[in-house]
Amino acid sequence: MIELINSSWIIAFFAMVAIYFVPAKMKAHTAALAVVANAIVTGWLAISALTGHVVSFVFYGGNLFGDVLVRVDELSAWFLLIINFTCLTGVFYGSGYLKTSDSSPKKLNLHWILFVLFQLSMLWVCMVQHGLVFLIIWEVMSLSSVLLVIFDHNNPKIIKAGISYLVQMHISIVFLTIGFIWLYFQTGSFSFDAFTGYFGSNSNVGLFLVLFIGFGLKAGFIPLHSGLLQGDPAAPSHIAGIMSGVLVKLGIYGIFRVASYLSSDYLLLGEIILSVSVATGLFGILNAAVHRNLKKMLAYCTIENIGTIGIGIGIGLIGLGNNTPVLYYLGFGGALMHVLNHSLFKSLLFFSAGSVAQQAHTSDMEKLGGLIKKMPRTGMVFLIAAIGICGLPPFNGFISEFLIYSGLIEGVKIHDTNEMILFSVSLAGLSVIGGLSILTFTKSFGTVFLGTARKQLPVEPHEVSLQMLIPQYAIIALMISVAIFPGFYLQVIGNVIMSLTKGVIIPQPAGFTNYISILQNISNYSILFICIVGIFWGIRYKLLSARSKVIQPTWGCAYAAPTSKIQYTGKSFSKTLSKMFNFIVIERKQYTELKAGEIFPEERKHASHYHDFFEFRFIHVITNQLVYAANYFKFIQNGRIQSYVLYGIVFILTIFILTAFNIII
Amino acid sequence: MLSLLLIILAATFFTGIIIRTKSVASGRKGPGVFQPVKDVIRLFKKGAVYSETTSFVFRLAPTIYFASVFVAMLVVPFGQSKGIISFNGDFIFFAYILGIGKFFSIIGAMDTGNSFEGMGASREALYSMFAEPAFFILMGSLALLTGFTSFQEIFSALHLGSSISYALAVMAAFVFLMIAMIENSRMPLDDPKTHLELTMVHEVMILDNSGFDLGLIFTAGYLKFAIYGAIIFNLFSGTIAYQYAIPMFFGMQAFLAFVVGMIESFMARFRMNHNAQFIVVLSSVSLLIFFGALLVSGKFI
Repeated sequence: MIELINSSWIIAFFAMVAIYFVPAKMKAHTAALAVVANAIVTGWLAISALTGHVVSFVFYGGNLFGDVLVRVDELSAWFLLIINFTCLTGVFYGSGYLKTSDSSPKKLNLHWILFVLFQLSMLWVCMVQHGLVFLIIWEVMSLSSVLLVIFDHNNPKIIKAGISYLVQMHISIVFLTIGFIWLYFQTGSFSFDAFTGYFGSNSNVGLFLVLFIGFGLKAGFIPLHSGLLQGDPAAPSHIAGIMSGVLVKLGIYGIFRVASYLSSDYLLLGEIILSVSVATGLFGILNAAVHRNLKKMLAYCTIENIGTIGIGIGIGLIGLGNNTPVLYYLGFGGALMHVLNHSLFKSLLFFSAGSVAQQAHTSDMEKLGGLIKKMPRTGMVFLIAAIGICGLPPFNGFISEFLIYSGLIEGVKIHDTNEMILFSVSLAGLSVIGGLSILTFTKSFGTVFLGTARKQLPVEPHEVSLQMLIPQYAIIALMISVAIFPGFYLQVIGNVIMSLTKGVIIPQPAGFTNYISILQNISNYSILFICIVGIFWGIRYKLLSARSKVIQPTWGCAYAAPTSKIQYTGKSFSKTLSKMFNFIVIERKQYTELKAGEIFPEERKHASHYHDFFEFRFIHVITNQLVYAANYFKFIQNGRIQSYVLYGIVFILTIFILTAFNIII
Repeated sequence: MLSLLLIILAATFFTGIIIRTKSVASGRKGPGVFQPVKDVIRLFKKGAVYSETTSFVFRLAPTIYFASVFVAMLVVPFGQSKGIISFNGDFIFFAYILGIGKFFSIIGAMDTGNSFEGMGASREALYSMFAEPAFFILMGSLALLTGFTSFQEIFSALHLGSSISYALAVMAAFVFLMIAMIENSRMPLDDPKTHLELTMVHEVMILDNSGFDLGLIFTAGYLKFAIYGAIIFNLFSGTIAYQYAIPMFFGMQAFLAFVVGMIESFMARFRMNHNAQFIVVLSSVSLLIFFGALLVSGKFI
């Protein structure tokens, strides 16, 4: 088994060298081969961990690192499997996606080498249990993702987004570093097991919150979400799919990992996470509903789903604090289930949005329309993913939403007024999130795929290649398997959660095992629903086949000269909503007013943009102040080498003098 | 099983009574109580007209909308007898299965590429989103009050002993009635009889539907009313024996239809931009019920 763990990085290393030397056509195939091999190796480890054979070993990392613990336990296994599946579909979709772009071999070299490295680092983040090594791998992961984002580096906008993303990811690393150094100074060890000792004898709140901020920056909890918004829309679609599908989930992994060591203050932390998560979910979906760029919409929607997952985590922690194992299992179970589900439908949405972008050369919804006739399969895929992400039966999204809802409703029954009120407010929040998702996705699907084309596109869009469609079908197959066999998945998750708490094992309560059969029932009822649709569709088909069918233009409400411009736009679809919440969704318009004497106005432009509340109100304000203050120190950076050499000398001299006088040791 | 039968029966006259009440209130004789059913049967016999803009989504949407209402109907219990579908948390399933119908009716409307249908779709999505929290807070408080989480168990455990729980049931009935009005796009929010596309919500979404599809949509609407009527009846039924409960059920449905008719006769439709506020009021009423439930269960103060 230990050989398997090691072979993971050996495979990746050889593949990275090989990608450099093989001809341009073969690069994608080589990368795919490496991803598959790595997925088999780590998938094997994960499955053996889930069946009860936890693999762990310690290697000696020199004086600096000491003993480094590598362990594939049940929690790692769950995430390893999700990472591997999304990377697999991503690499196959990506090789089809990049085929049509005329990229130089150099660019492809870098891209595929980084892709292999990206997968490797994500896998190892889940396996290493040593703070310092964890940080290094985390950094490798962030850097490789940044470089993957700026694939299209000739575009200055993308470079800008990439740099912004890079900065935000490093703020995350700063917090994580603080957290692990804190741990080291208190316990003298970087190993994750030291958390047990620290949390056992100290207050849990401070350290957990520092790490929560660090991991939350990756995951995208508000107000720490803006890194996500920069990265995902700029990246090529297969990378965006992986980033939104699994990279952000590693933040969730981190939170789960640290939460598993907690030993007190559950209630407070749970309440904090629950409140932040409800706000995150509402904020994310509200913004998703108004944005017109398909990828930006999906990025905001990821924030919403992170909120939903966070609600689950919050419920779980409150359950631990209240000694109600049902809540613990339902909350964490719902969160872990949603991690899986979201990785499936979000990568699917990004892939199909990528197919649209590839064919139409734009992600702007308002320029698209009627694509379902030209790209029927992509349209179908997007529709299925949209139903999934709205959490509607009969697809898998409902399974995890149902668990989280059940957690909240079980929570309302707790005998504590504070928690009851918090839970019922969260219940309302979650239902609004659900309703807004329907609005968001009917808007996106309706504007992009239905109706008629709004603009003449430069190239007539066609259905994408089978190579790009097959990975998407594979994701749909897994989505359906979750929807049909939710009991099986929940059982696996139940085992993951049971092994989560260190020391004291909380057995699965009867209430939770009931839910396994309830979920199975739900899937039966979903099948019943499909059958009923089938029956009525059959009746309809039978009756209508013998009758007259007339095809006419859409009834234009007595207007005789309809054009495609008459269609309702996506913007107007969500306009009422954005007006209602204009204190959160900030809209800025740019136009010139009509002047008093202007009787026959000339052609003029009108532009309106939605700004992110936190970026607009806080981050930009702070950075503007910083830039303003930094301007006073411009003279230091004067571009003369002589001055720079002087700075160096001054620095060395200062150090020398200070040491000589024993001021610093 | 019993509830299924009763709801279908109630659906046959519910909308008819509304229309009849409105006619009588405005001084006309009006059509028979079963006229809506006859209309639907006539529609089922017709052929179809499709827009050339539409795709398969438009043709599939009414069937899925109808099927979703049909499955939601299976969840609703009748007094002591369970619905065909009953499990812990079945009201979440109820809300979400109606959600998939809504999803399809919205994208079905958008498929036509008509500006007004898009407008109606946008409003439908927005209003139903606002109605959602009222429903969930209400069901959450009933779960808190009774300690159960499925429709049938909640309703049969909802003993109306103390006077405060009567007040709660009345408020809950109000919330359910209003949700029914929103779901069916009826008066305070939407005027089904308006002739101006700009002011329509639900009616404008189905402008392009015809024949069998339109019949399905109408039938789904009738069923929806009866479903919510049945839920409201369940709030009060408790453990009454069937021989009294069944006549009471029909009486209650007829009364609700009469109330809806009276509201529609004597109220003007709200201004569009006030609708959202009105729906938020519903959530506040639900919150009142929640605090009432806290009071009753002695967890408050």
